[in-house]
Amino acid sequence: MSDELIQIETPFVFNEENQREFDELIGRYPIKEAAMLPTLHLAQRQAGYITPAVMKYVAEQLEVTLMKVKDVVTFYPMFFEEPVGEYVIRVCHTLPCALRDCKEVLDYLKAKLDTDIASETNLAKGTTADGKFTLMKVECLASCDVAPVIMINDDLYKNLTPEKVDEILSTLSS
Amino acid sequence: MVEERRILYEHLDVPDINTFDVFRQYDGYTRFEKAIAEYQPEDIAKMVMDSGLKGRGGAGFSTGLKWSFVPRDIKPCYLCCNADESEPGTFSNRYVLEKNPHLLIEGILICCYAMGIETTYVYIRGEFTLGKKMLDAAIKEAYDKGYLGKDVRGTGLNIDIYTHPGAGAYICGEETGLIESLEGKRGQPRNKPPFPAVEGVFSKPTVVQNVETLCNLPFIVGNGVEWYTKMGPTYADTRNDPPTPDPNTGTKLYCISGDVNEPGVYELDLGLTCSELIEVAGGLRGEEVKAVIPGGSSAPILTHYELDTRLDFTSLTLAKSMLGSGGIIVMNETRNIVDCLLNIMKFYAHESCGQCTPCRWGTPWVRDIVQRIADGNGRKDTITRPKFGVTESGRWGDTGETEEIYEDLDLLESVANNIANVDTMTWNTICVFGIAVSWPAVSYMRKFRPEFEAAIREGKLVTLPVAEATVPPEENYAYQQRFIPKEFADL
Ligand SMILES: Cc1cc2nc3c(=O)[nH]c(=O)nc-3n(C[C@H](O)[C@H](O)[C@H](O)COP(=O)(O)O)c2cc1C
Ligand code: SF4
Ligand code: FES
Repeated sequence: MSDELIQIETPFVFNEENQREFDELIGRYPIKEAAMLPTLHLAQRQAGYITPAVMKYVAEQLEVTLMKVKDVVTFYPMFFEEPVGEYVIRVCHTLPCALRDCKEVLDYLKAKLDTDIASETNLAKGTTADGKFTLMKVECLASCDVAPVIMINDDLYKNLTPEKVDEILSTLSS
Repeated sequence: MVEERRILYEHLDVPDINTFDVFRQYDGYTRFEKAIAEYQPEDIAKMVMDSGLKGRGGAGFSTGLKWSFVPRDIKPCYLCCNADESEPGTFSNRYVLEKNPHLLIEGILICCYAMGIETTYVYIRGEFTLGKKMLDAAIKEAYDKGYLGKDVRGTGLNIDIYTHPGAGAYICGEETGLIESLEGKRGQPRNKPPFPAVEGVFSKPTVVQNVETLCNLPFIVGNGVEWYTKMGPTYADTRNDPPTPDPNTGTKLYCISGDVNEPGVYELDLGLTCSELIEVAGGLRGEEVKAVIPGGSSAPILTHYELDTRLDFTSLTLAKSMLGSGGIIVMNETRNIVDCLLNIMKFYAHESCGQCTPCRWGTPWVRDIVQRIADGNGRKDTITRPKFGVTESGRWGDTGETEEIYEDLDLLESVANNIANVDTMTWNTICVFGIAVSWPAVSYMRKFRPEFEAAIREGKLVTLPVAEATVPPEENYAYQQRFIPKEFADL
């Protein structure tokens, strides 16, 4: 993929704080490329999702080809190439959670937010019309003892029931 | 009842144990200090070898042996701490990171000292934001107190620890996948050899070790090998002449989830039985145990006939399963095994890294077959054919009877066995993810065949009573020790 094939609208640069963090990151590894995942996390936190401009910027910073960045971004489920809601809701649906009725929680969230479940190639499908929430299914979150669990952005919520979901959502919207 | 023996988790719930000062009050870093004051690096490596410590991350490989493969003359050498913890049913590393991160740092320091390592990367799965935050804070404290950085405690050692976030891919838990991911690439496992011990991250010798494994080191050094080896059984491997000791020493952080009353992490000596563990975890939620997954979703399933299997590395290998990551998932009589397999196969189909054709295509294919059966569209052929099983002579062969063919079940087994053959333990893939796919697929199907047949016959999921759903061991070659000699005995 050459640069011309990617439409770059507004260029991306790290803000001051992230630039500082990036400078620190890069010193940790003997090769710059190794800072790829933390750099992409940083960039995604700033930009909301990985835009073509972000990829181009990261490629320049790490002195690798754009293709390499794209390659990595498409591999890992935590990097989004489309806009997502303000709150990303990850519902675990692997076996231990399934044994504790995660389906009820998922269906409840679907109905309550009036949205479908996002797929990795179509995040818009799981994003509410107001752009506030994105609902997605994920694999085991390593908290099976307190199943069923969901993650909203960086926070884990345990032992869920529809009532608890209500409570959580109301604190988020206030 | 078996008593918990908390060693790694002893101080887990002490308030503020995540801070240096409180950790220090509970003997924190004294074991590392003892190591550098009283022992040479080679002594530590020998202690770890003698302790019989086996890796807690999945493969159960002897840690001391792994260290002995690392060439001492090639520098730098790296330590990668595997905190990717993504195996469904496993959640013990999370608590260490979130509550007692200094213990992990102390373990890392001891490993670094023993192996002459200066740089450690802790690969933390991307979803562990809190765990990473806590560990980062603890690392910073350790730098401030002079336990990390240049010239650690005036010993001349330079040790750095960095955390590295993953980004949601299960396969990055596989050690070479982790290394690729750490180098900033797709987390696609490498062909082995060369093993990471010889050529790992940045083409340098690399020790990859699970969080729990490293957390054992302070206690081995602090309390001595003799104390450590008293915990857990040591068997005699009579395949060798004279028999060699086969240690399953130490405690294990058993993670138990599913249909038990008190799911959670229980630290117990290795070697208790499956039913004992269920008792410890508050007993079964439900009437009857239908099935138990003993070592994370990749492990072959155990039936109610096998509940007296001891949960240690050797015993589970002999039972044709594995302790894996120690994630035990219990299912009661209301569960449908076809449905459970479908859930697990969806997981694997999603997580295949896509490098090898048998895995990339085979895994979704297996998932689709199970989906079809679960939807009631399972394919059934009407012809009958000779039935294979255990013959009168006690060997596997033509029994002289006939059976109906369930086309989809044959297909399921064939596809799974072509990803990785569970009977010969050979795989057609780069990494053992292939085995992690076919093990559950084939074992669920063989051990709970009546439930699969019923779903195909009736055109819908049918949950049979436990006794009817399970194939007894004597009728099923999934249980048979065909490739691992059975002559292990208690020492
Ligand atoms: C598909 C796959 C996933 C794995 N996931 C993990 C994991 O999440 N955490 C872990 O510690 N080991 C995992 N392992 C095992 C590692 O490859 C490796 O054996 C382990 O980290 C070595 O450390 P240990 O000897 O301390 O157990 C996985 C292996 C495979 C094949
Ligand atoms: S077996 Fe599967 S996960 Fe492992 S390298 Fe091959 S494709 Fe990737
Ligand atoms: S299955 Fe949901 S946290 Fe493990």
